[in-house]
Amino acid sequence: MGGYGDVKLLRDDGLRLDGRKIDEMREVEIEAGVLPAADGSAWVKHGLNVAVCAIYGPMEAHPRKIQRQDRAVIDVRYNMAPFSTSDRIRPGFNRRSREISKVTAEALESVVLVERYPRSKIRVEIEILAAEAGTRCVGITAAAVALADAGIPMRDLIVGVASGKVEDTVVLDLDKAEDNYGQADLPMGILPTTGEIAFLQMDGDLSVDEYNTCLQYNMKAAKEIHTIMVDALRRRYESKNGGEK
Amino acid sequence: MVELVPKLLRQELNKLAEEDKRIDGRKRWESREITLETNCLYNAEGSAKVVWGETVIYAGVKFEVRTPWPDRPTQGSLMCGAELRPVAGRKYEPGPPSPESIELGRVVDRGIRESGCIDMDSLCIIPGEKVLGIMIDIHVLSDKGNIFDACALGAIAALRTAIVPAERFDIGEDYPLSVSMTPTMCSFTRVGGRYVLDANEKEELGGDERIHITLGDEGHLHSLQKGLKGTFTPAEFDEILQVAQGRCKELANLVNAQEE
Amino acid sequence: MSGVLEGAELRLVTPGEAIGASSGARAGSGVIIQNEKLIATKVGWVNEKNGVTSINPINSAYMPRSGDLVIGIVESVRNNLWFAEVNGPFNGLLPMSLAPWKVEFGAAREQMDIGDIMLARIQEVDEAHNIVLTMKGVGLRKLKEGIMEEIPINTIAHLRGENNSLLNKLKDASDCRIIVAENGRVWIDGEGNGISFVRSIIEKTRNSGHNSRFTENILEIIEERRSA
Repeated sequence: MGGYGDVKLLRDDGLRLDGRKIDEMREVEIEAGVLPAADGSAWVKHGLNVAVCAIYGPMEAHPRKIQRQDRAVIDVRYNMAPFSTSDRIRPGFNRRSREISKVTAEALESVVLVERYPRSKIRVEIEILAAEAGTRCVGITAAAVALADAGIPMRDLIVGVASGKVEDTVVLDLDKAEDNYGQADLPMGILPTTGEIAFLQMDGDLSVDEYNTCLQYNMKAAKEIHTIMVDALRRRYESKNGGEK
Repeated sequence: MVELVPKLLRQELNKLAEEDKRIDGRKRWESREITLETNCLYNAEGSAKVVWGETVIYAGVKFEVRTPWPDRPTQGSLMCGAELRPVAGRKYEPGPPSPESIELGRVVDRGIRESGCIDMDSLCIIPGEKVLGIMIDIHVLSDKGNIFDACALGAIAALRTAIVPAERFDIGEDYPLSVSMTPTMCSFTRVGGRYVLDANEKEELGGDERIHITLGDEGHLHSLQKGLKGTFTPAEFDEILQVAQGRCKELANLVNAQEE
Repeated sequence: MSGVLEGAELRLVTPGEAIGASSGARAGSGVIIQNEKLIATKVGWVNEKNGVTSINPINSAYMPRSGDLVIGIVESVRNNLWFAEVNGPFNGLLPMSLAPWKVEFGAAREQMDIGDIMLARIQEVDEAHNIVLTMKGVGLRKLKEGIMEEIPINTIAHLRGENNSLLNKLKDASDCRIIVAENGRVWIDGEGNGISFVRSIIEKTRNSGHNSRFTENILEIIEERRSA
């Protein structure tokens, strides 16, 4: 969090700078099956964020030392394209991407039925093409749709959502300015059907009450995004059906 | 990962070549369908998405303000790089840039740079102190063959639609980057003993060497590259160069149509 | 498999979606029981048959089972065994003792080398998920001619049809030999024109093999070719 300074993030009418209500999400668009080379894939536009995800596998896990005898290994790579941010990012892995990849993999392992594929590996390649705050959440949503598209069994989908605090007010789904100048950010990966939480990070300053409001907002947003995810998966297969001559 | 080349595939490609046929039914000098979209990414000052058959790539342009080289105090710079990350296909592995991705980036870079489509002096802000650097990054998302042509097309399209973020750099108002030419690339792969245009992933897997030709507006050559094991004759080159002359014009028209 | 395709009410579900109460129902493939509910784990059509609820998935990875007929690509060769890529999560191993040839130790490559295609059967999948292949059996052999294509696992049954009826019609119409293996690989051999015809059907299988009208459409195309 950049810290609470002189930047005004809420308007006098109580709306946010981009005109959203405090508990309103940015617009979300999802498409499944966009990368023909992959076994499953998804494209997600969330506000101005754009993420794509490709799934490869289950495949033989190399090198052998990463194999798990009782389950599949989920190998996540979260990566930001050099042109995805306002200052160009030098290509290559950095500490931030590594951490996000690790916790994302663990979140996905909690929904994928990994015990079905012992000793194998499922590659999850998340590429952020445009970043406008909240990319790790967009990546998680994209990964869930891509895994479902690949036919990998999961006990639920998983939705990436975030809430935070700006000008001492809890708001849903921080945009870039709110992320830069706000006081807290609480990203979560939520299982939309069961309401369980598989991914959790937070930084900033939140009271317990504020945390609870964030949680409530996140749960609400997870349901909304879930509907869009389901719609994308259905469209992918129904359009195929209808497209047949 | 080294890709397995099924022997049956090579055998079939040879057989098809004898009858002058291709594995997906195309003619020898026929390209797959191309969709080009520009200005599709927030944060990139110029961007393009290319869907070339089933190959998908994105290109993004970023600018920076930097100090010029002492020997060229009025000249800005251009750099083009490509990433072949594991997202692009099953055969791609994580790790430092592979020789393949470096080759790809450099071949595209040369075609654009050597065409002279960017006047480096026009990138000067204060001689000897501040110049603009242009960076084109290409991201391959789905490799289903002929990523070179797709990347070259994406790179020039992103460049031609780029806006210099002058306000952000405190050097005046934003303005479109001036690009005086539309160099495009045409690649040929030897499949079943003879060259074909725009090989798909099966033809690349069961084929041999490839030749990349970048031509400018006047049909002048700006970048050539021969990759992979194999040799060719001058007569073969004459033939594909002639095909490239026609094809590159069509590709340039596709890019130029984006600007309207 | 084909039963659900004829069903009047098709229900497309996504992972995590509750299909119904678990009482009195058994969870088949693609379904788990969670909090006394039947939950879908894949995108696909719900199929209820004899008290078992399962999903006909729209996409699925190949999971090798013993007895499966598979088409493998030789990936490496040792002195007395071959490793083959079988489109699954693990490679298959063909020991000399289960190969159709008698070869001297160290001469395995002379019979079958890297890149060669084999028609084999899965002898066993052990608890460590090692796949042992065999080439002893009727028709099992190295495939020296023809071409190889791939289709999604969940469309195999549709391409074959009830008792291979669709596949047999396709063989007749194209005058090709066709083998549809359990691992989603299809081997086709015949004249060029016949092969391209089968390939166009394979392409259709890839795009719409899960379609309820798939069989009907393919039969029409076959009929068209016959009458032409």
